Amino acid sequence: MLFPTIDFAIFFLVAFVACWLLNPYPTAWKLAVIALSYFFYSWWDWRFVFLLLAATVLAHLGGQGAARRRAAPRAARVWLIASLVGLLGLLGYFKYYGFFAVNVDNVLHGLGAGRLVPLVQPTLPVAISFFTFMAISYVVDVYRGRLEPARPVDLAAYLCFFPHLIAGPIVRGEELLPQIRRRRDPAEVDFSWAIWLVMAGLFKKVVISSYVSTAIVQPVFSAPSAHSALEVVFAGWGYGVQIYCDFSGYTDIAIGLALLLGVRFPVNFDAPYTARNLQDFWRRWHITLSRWLRDYLYIPLGGNRGSDGLVIRNIMITMVLGGLWHGANWTFVIWGALHGVGQCVGHLRRRRRIARGLPAVAQGAWRAGWQRFWTFQFVCLGWIFFNASSFSNAWALLSRLVTGWGAGSGLVTPLLVLVVAGVIGAQFVPAGSLVRLQRVFSEQRAAVQAAILGLVLLGITTLGPSGVAPFIYYRF
Amino acid sequence: MARSGTRPTTTPPVGGAGPGRRAFGRSARVALGRLWRRAVVPALPPRPPGPPPEGQPRRSGWTRVLGVCLAGFALWLLLDAPTLQHNAQVSPVGARRTVSLDILGPIATVSRDLGVSHLVSVADGILGRTGNRPGAGAPLHPRALRPGGLRPHPSPVPSTPTTAPVPLNRHPSAADPLRVLVVGDSLGIDLGSVLVNDLDQTGVVQATLDGQVSTGLTRPDYFNWPAELATDLARDHPEVVVVMIGANDAQDFPGPPDVPFGTSAWDTIYRSRVASFMAEATGQGARVIWVGMPPMQDPGLSAAMQRINGLVQQAAAQNPDVVYVSSWTVLGTPSGQFTPYLVENGQEVNVREPDGTHITPGGAQVLAAAVEAAMRDDLHVSL
Repeated sequence: MLFPTIDFAIFFLVAFVACWLLNPYPTAWKLAVIALSYFFYSWWDWRFVFLLLAATVLAHLGGQGAARRRAAPRAARVWLIASLVGLLGLLGYFKYYGFFAVNVDNVLHGLGAGRLVPLVQPTLPVAISFFTFMAISYVVDVYRGRLEPARPVDLAAYLCFFPHLIAGPIVRGEELLPQIRRRRDPAEVDFSWAIWLVMAGLFKKVVISSYVSTAIVQPVFSAPSAHSALEVVFAGWGYGVQIYCDFSGYTDIAIGLALLLGVRFPVNFDAPYTARNLQDFWRRWHITLSRWLRDYLYIPLGGNRGSDGLVIRNIMITMVLGGLWHGANWTFVIWGALHGVGQCVGHLRRRRRIARGLPAVAQGAWRAGWQRFWTFQFVCLGWIFFNASSFSNAWALLSRLVTGWGAGSGLVTPLLVLVVAGVIGAQFVPAGSLVRLQRVFSEQRAAVQAAILGLVLLGITTLGPSGVAPFIYYRF
Repeated sequence: MARSGTRPTTTPPVGGAGPGRRAFGRSARVALGRLWRRAVVPALPPRPPGPPPEGQPRRSGWTRVLGVCLAGFALWLLLDAPTLQHNAQVSPVGARRTVSLDILGPIATVSRDLGVSHLVSVADGILGRTGNRPGAGAPLHPRALRPGGLRPHPSPVPSTPTTAPVPLNRHPSAADPLRVLVVGDSLGIDLGSVLVNDLDQTGVVQATLDGQVSTGLTRPDYFNWPAELATDLARDHPEVVVVMIGANDAQDFPGPPDVPFGTSAWDTIYRSRVASFMAEATGQGARVIWVGMPPMQDPGLSAAMQRINGLVQQAAAQNPDVVYVSSWTVLGTPSGQFTPYLVENGQEVNVREPDGTHITPGGAQVLAAAVEAAMRDDLHVSL
């Protein structure tokens, strides 16, 4: 059930009314949220409801066991590890087994050991990467003492709450569990902000992302050799725009829907293409994943502590695993490694500048513009590997950047240039400027608000294509 | 809407039809009333009275939000009903389509009377969305189905060609490249992405790909492949057309009357469409290489693909300029079963996506090699 569909609109209408009617009854509210969310998840494949349930049970057992840390630290650690092994085992089997089996088998065969690993290809359940990471963060937070173990019904509602279930944001227990436990104020719905997020998200996904995908990204990525270097350049930039509008559009809708139900999610994007370096980029792009990787992988590995060699090791492990999180394919590994190398170079430069008594990042308006330009180019270079179907596909695209000059560039139309420039330029608009617009909307009479809503919806569906492709991050 | 922070007392119920029903009705109303009042009364400490903090948007009660959203949604439904009606028309035949059309029909009539549907064509013009595209194919002509003139046909059995393909005998060079067009649905795109690059890298082939996701020959009202091919032929003048279409075609032909998939009537119509599509290309002097569908993980879909492959083979057998390339055992096991992995050149290769339908780049490479072999061996093209 995709967000921009009539099916979901009807589902959400039922969910909205049910949740607010049951709001005064906390347990009934949680049970309704669980039932609605499991129904929502079962829309794809009812069998995977049991997977979601299994992850919840593993997180609950792990959390209960880890909560004994003060009385029996060793036992708590065993519970923690057992729970993590179970959760990562589910993720590993469904998402990575086929990939590793093929590669390990081929290496063993090359060494003359025969083919020892049985080959199976499990169906990839949607959302498994997201709810597994949320479950892991819950168990680790309980183990660390940052979170008290939740009641089973609270934990189940936290993990399956449908606005974040499929593609995040990766909300932490300390952010969502208190909101699940307390009643929400039915007279204090932040309607203007919520409706802005939902409409902006729909516009980004249905209009911008779909247009850029059809106009340049799909044609060029599917047949690089038939396109010019300029078209490849715009396909790279275009994919940067497409994935931003697709994923940030999804999270905008998710955050807006949760807000309509009286629940606040953390921000997931903060104008990522205004970043001045890769470290800055990862503070602005998929923020909830970045902080997860930082807090549950990078810092436990040692973080910034230690020698440059150790820090580089930690960065590379984090970024490569972060790349692999997106999918079982070497192109994602290369994408992660590319960002890792870029971050390592940035880290060494920053340390060198600090050692010389200079600011960590060079200052000045022109320098900032220069840094933003090159950061964006580097990010788009990474997107080529991210979106390529294979390494040879990525290589074919990159080689056209050398050999494809002089050919016609019919796909680079003025409208495409305008859209790409517009989306990137819009990231420099201060977020505060939107508050006035929301205030004006919030002060209108209900009939005027309804008319605005209807006309905006008409604009989106009119400008968008007839069918909407699934969100890119649904695959992850 | 109640804004008070104190919980209101329950008001005594009034009225009722009879003793039993009265008791039930009263208690139900009491419960509903309590639920309603509790739902709309703030659960948290009430906000101080007065306007919101300076510069901040006002908050709303959930019932107001519901009313505004429902009214806005209804307005959009009224204004956009013709588009929604069209989307319903081009969706797969079934109860959902029927119900959608029944609901949207009257609303769309009102909307058309208001002249709002004109907005859609203006937007299409601005975005350059003219001509054929998925979701906006040509309306189905009632005679396209020819329900009365259909002869029963035995279930399709893979047949051997009755005519040997006519060789092209072509020795392309960089100065005189072979022009190849690849057309297809999403599986055709999987194949075409790899095949076009392979062919381009020979330096003697000029290959183009026209792939359209979620399309086929069953529903020209959704996407009109014959019209698309006519445009492609006029633009590229291909000498060879590689076709891989069929994955979305296991659905009923919409009527009235609907022609269900799996019937001999359906087979006759589909075979005729495939033959016309082939003739459209060969009539322009191109040779056609039609790549059949591979086995699917879902047994039902796999059986449907086998049926479609049989019909395509029968149509190909009647046209000497068409070569049929089976992917059934190329991407399946030797016995024609679905497999996600194959051993190629001593290496295990993942050939199918986890959805059990689409083809991975590795699988497309295997299939592209089979197509290139057909070009060399059947069409006698020096690559």
